[in-house]
Amino acid sequence: MGVEYVIETENLTKVYRDRTGEVVALDNVDIKVPKGVLFGLFGPNGSGKTTLISILVGLQLPTRGTARVLGFDCVKQSLEVRKRVGLLPENYGFYEYMTAYENLEFLGRLDGIPREELRRRISEVLELVGLKDWAHTKVKAFSRGMNQRLALAQALLKDPEVLIFDEPTLGLDPQGSVMFRELVTRLVKEGRTVLISTHLLHEVGFICSHAAFIRKGRVVAQGSLEELAERYRESRGYSYEVVVQERPEDLIKELRQLEGVIEVGLENNVVKVRSSRDIMRELIKVTEGYRVRSLRELAPSWDELYQFYHGGGRE
Amino acid sequence: MNGKVAVIVRKEVLENLKSARFWGLIGLFVLLFVAMSAAIGSAARGFAIPGLGLGGGRFVVQLVYAMSSVMSYVAPLLGIALGFSAIASEREKGTIRLVLARPVYRDQVLNGKIIAATILIVLAVTVSTALSLPLSMALHGVTVTADDLSRLALSLIPSILLALSYYALSLFISVLSDRSSRAFLYCIVAWVFFTFILPLIASMIALSVLGPPPAISFNMTRGGGQPQLPPQVQEYYRKMNEIASTVLLVSPNNRYSSFVSALFTRRSPQAAAYVDLGSVIATRWVDLAVLAAYAAVFILLSYIFFVRRQEVR
Repeated sequence: MGVEYVIETENLTKVYRDRTGEVVALDNVDIKVPKGVLFGLFGPNGSGKTTLISILVGLQLPTRGTARVLGFDCVKQSLEVRKRVGLLPENYGFYEYMTAYENLEFLGRLDGIPREELRRRISEVLELVGLKDWAHTKVKAFSRGMNQRLALAQALLKDPEVLIFDEPTLGLDPQGSVMFRELVTRLVKEGRTVLISTHLLHEVGFICSHAAFIRKGRVVAQGSLEELAERYRESRGYSYEVVVQERPEDLIKELRQLEGVIEVGLENNVVKVRSSRDIMRELIKVTEGYRVRSLRELAPSWDELYQFYHGGGRE
Repeated sequence: MNGKVAVIVRKEVLENLKSARFWGLIGLFVLLFVAMSAAIGSAARGFAIPGLGLGGGRFVVQLVYAMSSVMSYVAPLLGIALGFSAIASEREKGTIRLVLARPVYRDQVLNGKIIAATILIVLAVTVSTALSLPLSMALHGVTVTADDLSRLALSLIPSILLALSYYALSLFISVLSDRSSRAFLYCIVAWVFFTFILPLIASMIALSVLGPPPAISFNMTRGGGQPQLPPQVQEYYRKMNEIASTVLLVSPNNRYSSFVSALFTRRSPQAAAYVDLGSVIATRWVDLAVLAAYAAVFILLSYIFFVRRQEVR
């Protein structure tokens, strides 16, 4: 059976026209988000992430192309999409003269949640985001971090199948970021699909299993971490780390003889090897004659992948 | 009413009932009206205007004119206060994104806001009138007839329509704006235009069409009579008034004043009874229709632009 995609776009294009001319915000974007994954949409500010999200939830219309969420067309069946998607938008705001509870009650009723169920859900989500004690405080007294927690709560209110978060950790304190990561990880374990758009990779990148890199309105790469890392390795090579307890110089000499090895370095008995091909089997064989404490392949981090896919190594 | 529209109506009504802006405007109306009626009362006493009959039935007409004069300023401000921030402020604060990310249609959002504004306008106009008119009547010891009361009740309709037409105009401006401060500025410019500038323009147009007035030589009647203008001068001013009135037909303020004046016009300068209601409505229904049309056109434009507009760039 093929992969089931929860979010799918095809040739999605958005062109803004203003007095200065045309600005292409999205250029033939094809994105596929598999079901039940934590998908990162990574790109710098102004790369088109927010425009893409806005089209997915019906806040904007595409100029060309199609977008589907849970099989529903984002233009023709936008209401069906919004029934099933919880959105934390960028640059949102709450009604400041209303309490956190009242804000959630208003939004929940627009979601069509029955009154009794809504009461229970508000209590649950406020507890989840750590705002239960602030339920009856007016939002104007909230800090930015508290607002962000409340924004998270409103996205979870209808218990949606799909969650879309645009810059979710912006304004959160470190404790809030940890809470967010734990919460999102749990949501994915429960079978929900989560799309996180951010340029702050260090905050959430490492919890994503899949990602798309978007630059100047174009998707430059997408896939699972393994797939993206594989493409990185094809270009930048494979990296390994061997920790030896004796004769590292001898090991280095042997490693340099291996086919495909580009670079070998030594740092405090840690031998670092870079190769143009996968040499793990050979490494295991070569290191047999040494007292090796550890041998591992260094997988590229999301930060390295970001640098790579955003022009550091791929043009 | 659709459930989601009702949710928006409830929120909007409660929001405004809690706001100082809404009650401030009602307070302003009552204050201005009571002050104006006090001024009329003291003028009536001081000059003992014949036929005014302070304490009698005719003083109520002066009060109604004073009320309509205050209303012609405050009702537009009420409409503007409810309309200018309706969408622009939600856009500015980002609340619109959370609302539109819900399964609601854009026209439902607008429906909720318009219904809430109508409820608030009816409430504000009724409360203002119900508070200020009896207060002034009690202050001056004026009694009213059933006919006065029925006409007063009828005068609420153009007041509500006037406020609604300015609300609709402000809503339209709000739909087009990203900043509520800018929307407010444009709304005030529109109000100043209709209230102060258009009457001046109307006079200038009449003057440019007719040229300067003929030289006046007063024909003073002997024995302390009223000064009489020569017929050609009277004709000049009649024409001038006609041209100016034609220009002012586009002004909602003018339509409002015309209807209220007609409601309290006496059958003849000497008669105590008003022109009957049937003939007032038969001759002045266009005023109400124009006020309603103003509201309808701008509400329609608001729908068109709001539904088309995209919130995020």
